[in-house]
Amino acid sequence: MIKSTITRTLDSDFLWSFRRSKLAMGSFVVVFLLLAGALFSPFIATHNPYDMTTLNLMNGFSAPMEPNAFTGDQFWLGSDGQGRDIFSTILYGLRLSLFVGFMAVAFALVLGVSMGLIAGYVGGWIGATIMRIADVQLTFPAILVAMLIFGIAKGITPVDMREEMAIWVLILAIGLSDWVQFARVVRGATLVEKNKEYVQAARLIGRHPAFIMIRHILPNVLGPVMVIATISLALAIIAEATLSYLGVGAPVTQPSLGTLIRIGQGFLFSGEWWILLFPALTLLALALSVNLLGDWLRDALNPRLR
Amino acid sequence: MKSTITLSLCIAALTANLAVGAANAETFRWASSTDPQTMDPHAVNSSPVLGFLNNVYEGLVRRDQAMAIEGALAQSWEPLDDKGWRFHLRKGVKFHDGSDFTAEDVLFSYQRASSEAADTSSWFSPISEVRIVDDHTIDFLTKAPNPIFPDSIANFMIMDKGWSEANNAALPSKEVENHATLNTNGTGAFKLVDRQPGLKTVLEPHDGWWGEKQHNITRAEFTPIQNPATSVAALLSGDVDMINPVPIQDAARLKERDGVKVIDGIEARVIMLGFPHGADALKYGADAGKPNPFKDQRVRAAVSHAVNVDAILKTIMRGAAQPASQLVSPAMRGYSASLSERPAYDPELARKLLAEAGYPDGFSFGLKCPNDRYLNDEAVCQAIAAMLSQVGIKAELEAMPVRTYWPELRADNFDMYLLGWSPGTFDAEHPLRFLASTPNKEKKLGSWNFGDFSNIAIDSMLPNIQSEIDDGKRQMMLDHSAKVLQDENAYVPLYVQPLVWGARDNIDLTQRPDNFVILRWINVN
Repeated sequence: MIKSTITRTLDSDFLWSFRRSKLAMGSFVVVFLLLAGALFSPFIATHNPYDMTTLNLMNGFSAPMEPNAFTGDQFWLGSDGQGRDIFSTILYGLRLSLFVGFMAVAFALVLGVSMGLIAGYVGGWIGATIMRIADVQLTFPAILVAMLIFGIAKGITPVDMREEMAIWVLILAIGLSDWVQFARVVRGATLVEKNKEYVQAARLIGRHPAFIMIRHILPNVLGPVMVIATISLALAIIAEATLSYLGVGAPVTQPSLGTLIRIGQGFLFSGEWWILLFPALTLLALALSVNLLGDWLRDALNPRLR
Repeated sequence: MKSTITLSLCIAALTANLAVGAANAETFRWASSTDPQTMDPHAVNSSPVLGFLNNVYEGLVRRDQAMAIEGALAQSWEPLDDKGWRFHLRKGVKFHDGSDFTAEDVLFSYQRASSEAADTSSWFSPISEVRIVDDHTIDFLTKAPNPIFPDSIANFMIMDKGWSEANNAALPSKEVENHATLNTNGTGAFKLVDRQPGLKTVLEPHDGWWGEKQHNITRAEFTPIQNPATSVAALLSGDVDMINPVPIQDAARLKERDGVKVIDGIEARVIMLGFPHGADALKYGADAGKPNPFKDQRVRAAVSHAVNVDAILKTIMRGAAQPASQLVSPAMRGYSASLSERPAYDPELARKLLAEAGYPDGFSFGLKCPNDRYLNDEAVCQAIAAMLSQVGIKAELEAMPVRTYWPELRADNFDMYLLGWSPGTFDAEHPLRFLASTPNKEKKLGSWNFGDFSNIAIDSMLPNIQSEIDDGKRQMMLDHSAKVLQDENAYVPLYVQPLVWGARDNIDLTQRPDNFVILRWINVN
């Protein structure tokens, strides 16, 4: 039984297409490595850069692989101005970026898919209202919407909870700026599905609309949702980096990749290139490979392209 | 109709071209990390504002290139037998809008700048009354003999009474805009032609200025550039002629570049940490709402021993700054040479002091910090947060631009904050009046004492310091005050900020330790 499942999976079109695409395999390896690095950062990193008690300011600005002039400590990829090891900070920053990215996409997905299902299946003035809100939101650049939501949410959080809440506010802001894509696609697919015989049959036997939406329609619209989710993940990671780069995202004492790039930018003229370069390369590799994976997924799931 | 429009557009384009062509020769463009928050000379007592407005407005007296006091709108002045000072005003001076400058304007400006709505009222705490003698003579009567009063009002800028009243700006406004926060009418060598807060501010020479012209500028454009790397790039590419400050980390490389020069000195500014002496409870972090530990002197002393100033100076400040032990730098008059030792870096002692004060496991609190005001301010605060956490007190750092920073401090929204202070009078009495006196609006004292530090010895000594004529006795009292502040750890002075400007090679300028960019000494070659 188990064996047959494995052979069936190994024989599937999906895997076949994956194994034929070198780009997809390469991207997958990169994403996998970065994910693993982020997940196991406490075991790989030399110290926890978010724990301020482990920082020694005298280690600041060490060049990669060169002993520090004051302390003699060595850092693989150098250290930043506060004495944080760049390698460890990248791992922790990656963890933060990925966490925010995944959570924001999950939030956008749940919200967008439910809105899209309701708009498509129920229709009427409810559907029209949801889609008009979506249209209006689409006229603003997503990053501006995220900044606006971030500003408002930060304003209404009690001052003594701001630091703990900062990450969640960030997730909310990015998620809310991104749900529209899901809603539009799901609504379109729902409109097609709801007139098919199996839905009509379910309706005839008296199933509750919510049951029909979730059990019958949802599984049939999930394909494109998965593709959008993958591409949204790359966008959410970049959105987080952009917000942090602009100084409105993660707190400075917990640098994400975007924060590191912002800090590093200040030292380009003075020759401390490593503070900027390595986090930027990591962000580039992550966003690029997630995007390539999404592209491949879109093609692999599209029956017309086979 | 259409052809008229086209024609007028052509003419407009032509004139615009001509104007640019003519102006380019002597247009001076400079950039700084901080935009002056207001164009009102009495609304915010901070260097970016006063330094900028020194080009537009003038005081009765001013400082020359060597910081010595000389006459400006007052031609001469003399003491009135220990009762105050008589100023003889310059005749024939006109404001930018053409109206005449008289003693009425001085009296009006005194009332405006010393009102409760003003941020400059502490300047006038020694004054009991101002009396007009005639159109060009005015008396400033003091409560006690005040030998340094004329030296202390170089930044007291005179506004036009008629203009201010006509534009509903008879009182300054710190945070809300009024006519005077966006427009000016001074007597200075330059007049404001365009003000876009946060974007660009343009000045042009005032043709009717009374003084002798020493510059060749026909137009001066100021742009705030918050990002240090961007400002260096703008200087290197020639987009601006001068930047203030040069990021410390870039100074060494800029010195080696052709076409630009670095002008450096020691600023009069001491960077320090301030505490909430008056607050009953902590406001931020996990311990928000619990009793305020900083009321205990041992906790404040622990902070002073926990911060490794030496490390900050070696790394973040790249060896370009000097440690500070008092509220003023050694270059100021009245500095206490015998108290030049700052608390040693000793995390063990800090932990011991915290334990003695009843905090063996430390506590959490909020540290407020500006991120566009002082050199590397945010990085310094991050380092301080890390050092404090190493002795067990966890700082939650919040950094923000000064535009929101000062209002937050005025609203008491901090558990600890970073402050830089440069005494406008270049005298050790100045920070006592602004930072160490018990805040008192009526007496115009302690207006920047955000933490409400209060000490009877300081409060009772200040009037004596202000009226003492004998330098030796005065120094003794200043030494005593400095000692009280050190023993109480009222503030934790960290270092004296260096002054680093960058300019294109073809710019001649004068750098004063007060960090003011004075346009009337600038020549574009």
